[in-house]
Amino acid sequence: VFHLGRCWSVDPLLSSSYLLQDSRGRPKEIPHNEKLLSLKYESLDYDNIENQLFLEEERRMSFGGFRCLEISRWVVCGLIGFLTGLVACCIDIVVEEMAGLKYKVIKENIVKSTEAGGLSISLILWAVLNCAFVMVGAIMVACFEPIAGGSGIPQIKCYLNGVKIPRVVRLKTLVVKVLGVMCSVVGGLAVGKEGPMIHSGAVIAAGVSQGRSTSLKRDFKMFEYFRRDTEKRDFVSAGAAAGVSAAFGAPVGGVLFSLEEGASFWNQMLTWRIFFASMISTFTLNFFLSIYHHKPGDLSNPGLINFGRFESEIMSYNLYEIPLFIAMGALGGFLGALFNVLNYWLTIFRIRYVHRPFLQVIEAMLVAAVTVAVSFTMIYFSTDCQPLGPEHSEEYPLQLFCADGEYNSMAKIFFNTPERSVRSLFHSQPGTYNPLTLGLFTLTYFLLACWTYGLSVSAGVFIPSLLIGAAWGRLCGIFSFSAAQLGGIVRMTLSLTVIMVEATGNVTYGLPIMLVLMTAKIVGDYFQEGLYDIHIKLQSVPFLHWEAPGTSHWLTAREVMSSPVTCLNRIEKVGTIVDILSDTSTNHNGFPVVVKVSHNNEPAKLCGLILRSQLIVLLKHKVFVELARSRLNQRKLQLKDFRDAYPRFPPIQSIHVSQDERECMMDLTEFMNPTPYTVPLDTSLPRVFKLFRALGLRHLVVADDENRVVGLVTRKDLARYHLGKHGLEELHLAQT
Amino acid sequence: MSSHSIFVFFVLLVINIHAFVASDGLNVTALDSSGKLTQVSVLVNSPSVFKPIVDSVYPLSLLSSFPEDVEISEYCSDLLLVLGQRYVAYMSCLIPAARPVKVCQKCYSGYSSLVQIYQNISSDQMGPGNVSCRDSLLHSDRLMLVYLLYSNVENIWDNSNCAQCLSKDFQSQTNDTLFFLNVLNQTLSCFEKYKQRNLTELCKNCKKSYKDLNDLYSLKELNHTLCIDLEDAMNMTRRLWSKNFNCFLPREETVPVIAVFSFMLFLPIVFYLSSFLHSEQKKRKLIHPNRAKSYTGLMNIQDKQS
Repeated sequence: VFHLGRCWSVDPLLSSSYLLQDSRGRPKEIPHNEKLLSLKYESLDYDNIENQLFLEEERRMSFGGFRCLEISRWVVCGLIGFLTGLVACCIDIVVEEMAGLKYKVIKENIVKSTEAGGLSISLILWAVLNCAFVMVGAIMVACFEPIAGGSGIPQIKCYLNGVKIPRVVRLKTLVVKVLGVMCSVVGGLAVGKEGPMIHSGAVIAAGVSQGRSTSLKRDFKMFEYFRRDTEKRDFVSAGAAAGVSAAFGAPVGGVLFSLEEGASFWNQMLTWRIFFASMISTFTLNFFLSIYHHKPGDLSNPGLINFGRFESEIMSYNLYEIPLFIAMGALGGFLGALFNVLNYWLTIFRIRYVHRPFLQVIEAMLVAAVTVAVSFTMIYFSTDCQPLGPEHSEEYPLQLFCADGEYNSMAKIFFNTPERSVRSLFHSQPGTYNPLTLGLFTLTYFLLACWTYGLSVSAGVFIPSLLIGAAWGRLCGIFSFSAAQLGGIVRMTLSLTVIMVEATGNVTYGLPIMLVLMTAKIVGDYFQEGLYDIHIKLQSVPFLHWEAPGTSHWLTAREVMSSPVTCLNRIEKVGTIVDILSDTSTNHNGFPVVVKVSHNNEPAKLCGLILRSQLIVLLKHKVFVELARSRLNQRKLQLKDFRDAYPRFPPIQSIHVSQDERECMMDLTEFMNPTPYTVPLDTSLPRVFKLFRALGLRHLVVADDENRVVGLVTRKDLARYHLGKHGLEELHLAQT
Repeated sequence: MSSHSIFVFFVLLVINIHAFVASDGLNVTALDSSGKLTQVSVLVNSPSVFKPIVDSVYPLSLLSSFPEDVEISEYCSDLLLVLGQRYVAYMSCLIPAARPVKVCQKCYSGYSSLVQIYQNISSDQMGPGNVSCRDSLLHSDRLMLVYLLYSNVENIWDNSNCAQCLSKDFQSQTNDTLFFLNVLNQTLSCFEKYKQRNLTELCKNCKKSYKDLNDLYSLKELNHTLCIDLEDAMNMTRRLWSKNFNCFLPREETVPVIAVFSFMLFLPIVFYLSSFLHSEQKKRKLIHPNRAKSYTGLMNIQDKQS
């Protein structure tokens, strides 16, 4: 005789979460804001399920098998690095060629109409060309894969944190991302192609490590062991590192980026592997770019952004300049905070009002048009004419109304891809730009970059911030201001320092860059969070920060947990399972498995934990007790069957269970995790938090002193507490 | 950086003049354009042979002769002498041609003869008596003066890009170059013609020939067939045209550009206003999480804290 297992005998309606209702019985709705947690996001399963199948498989695997596994990890990392470098190379070459073509056409037109008249037509031509590119990019992002929008760093940060962002590591996302970033950079927006590289690297890693593509329906029967969240996450962090490394030519910076953003799971061997992937990535890029630049074999072209070599004179600094660096960092932090505040309001507005795809496309096109209009007008009215330097990086200098042999300075920075502008600002001789030009440029570019970030195009914010900083820095004659501006916006610390040091190829400049970034972070954090954190918050992602909110020790698991919890019996009726899984209000993905000690009404004791995905696989394969008895020779379910279904488990609706089968029983003993982590009721929130963050848990069972299930703590229960302006605040759960 | 290079140049100058002064017996035909220097050379009356000078001018110097096998051979010292002569000839050609730059047109023959003699010195070929002068002349001391001087010349030559304007063997200027100079002269003579009269007339009448010149120049720029002479001449012409004669293109399209600009700026304002007014605001449905009965949410936090 089996019982339907509920831990608490409560009315089913009350036991599950329900929509909040207002006084008239309609669901309570509020405008989107930053204090929400979306139900859409789930946790990844980083906790290894040590069930009997797992133990069996481990027993069967020989020592050689383990060695083989280790080697294939290295192979996968090498592949990740190689492919990431290749993608970076493709992006670079396509952007270079297309932007070159575009600027050539426009330049010819401008030269013609400077003489013959019709400059306003040139302006329109330029705007139309840019809008066309941006439109293609925006349509791809807005209509096909919205998750590919933006720089992708917030999404990867969330993934490494343990949040499953839907569709973030799909092949389609990669394609949209890569094509989208080409379009938006060629379309002349104030964006860079570096941020998206990190996302691309991560997607490549997630794809390669699985040895198959669910989108293409191809299975190469390789790397099957890696088909679970734990392994995949390790590779994704390698991919992110490879992306950083390809983008900036900074392999160590890449490793540290992964470390900084996903530091909850880390071991030395993994670090070494990630470093390997990073190195391979940057040198693959070098190699292919050297072929493109007709110098095959020359490996000195690291990174998409190439700051060029700095002469030691520019980079030298003295002790008395240290306070200056600190002041600069403070200013950079302040300006970065201003950028973030503006972008924050803009993003809220966008989420609330500009949420339809066609509106998003129109908005992106408008931004492109205004960018062109502003650039053109500033070029037109600029009277700053300078001859070209001996090593100018401008391929298409505009003369306009300058004397022959001289060229418009404003055009040098505006009529160029942002990356080349950065290089030009870093390297041109002093006096190449006059202060008015630089001042106007900085101001407009600041606003444009701020306006552009968060559009539904695939684009990064690194280069624009570097460019703003470089222009400021040029104004006062100091290089490291670009680091201050970038640090003020993104608030990365260690990894950004190393990335900057590596990208400039100058170790002696480490100290100033570190000081600048440190002050920028301190000052910036006083006003507003980093840009990526803002966007994570606005996406309502249940993100777990490094530590629990400081003043939360008085909160215990009792308050934090969800309760009551739906539990399953160790031998459960199929019908019950199907009902529980189909019930939309049960939004947990793990179910404690309990066992009755006596036949009384006494609550049952915890004996394991089983995941929704496992149950679905079990239902699909019809692992029922009665069937097993009747068909003795039925193949036993293996871990492989669970891996094959990963990561896209079918929804419960697609699994057909007949009326007869509903009466069958299912034995979960073999499949459940027999040793789930539990905490007592009085555990404090920081303690729970630490356990959760360090082990990468998804479900933490709260048990009383007799090992009876009282509640369940999940990521959303922990992430909802945060330190606001008025002390500890609680975020609302919402449907998005 | 710049002060350093000026210093090097100055040193070079001093060395050259010194060498020049110390050897007035040499052939000075290269010095056609500067009479002054010739005079200087006449004034100083030093002995004409190289080696004995050392003794007579600086009596306390080293012994004049080392044993036979260490000292350089007669053949090498002859080569050195010729090198010195040609070097001086080349330098005295270069300096007067420094401004306006005519270093390629005037001095290419001097350069080619200098290269020839240096190649003789640096080649592996044995001269008479089976001696190679390469090691003894080029690398036998720390200073390596001959090498240093020559590499300076090489540097000047490379920076000036003269090779682009000359035939392969440096014997003559290319036809291309001559043609360009011809076009340039036409333009300049046109300038000359109208200079006295109205400048606007100059701008109008010389426009065609100036434009031809400009186009030709840009073509050569693309082909990489420019040397410093042509670049400098073109720069001067452009400066004449733009700065002296003020032949600017007028900035007369301000109104249409501003009109288009403000139109484009106006569009986003309309867009945002209309989406604010007409688009339906995105609302989120709140969900009540299931909690243990007595602890439900923020209310408790505040209760507990207070």
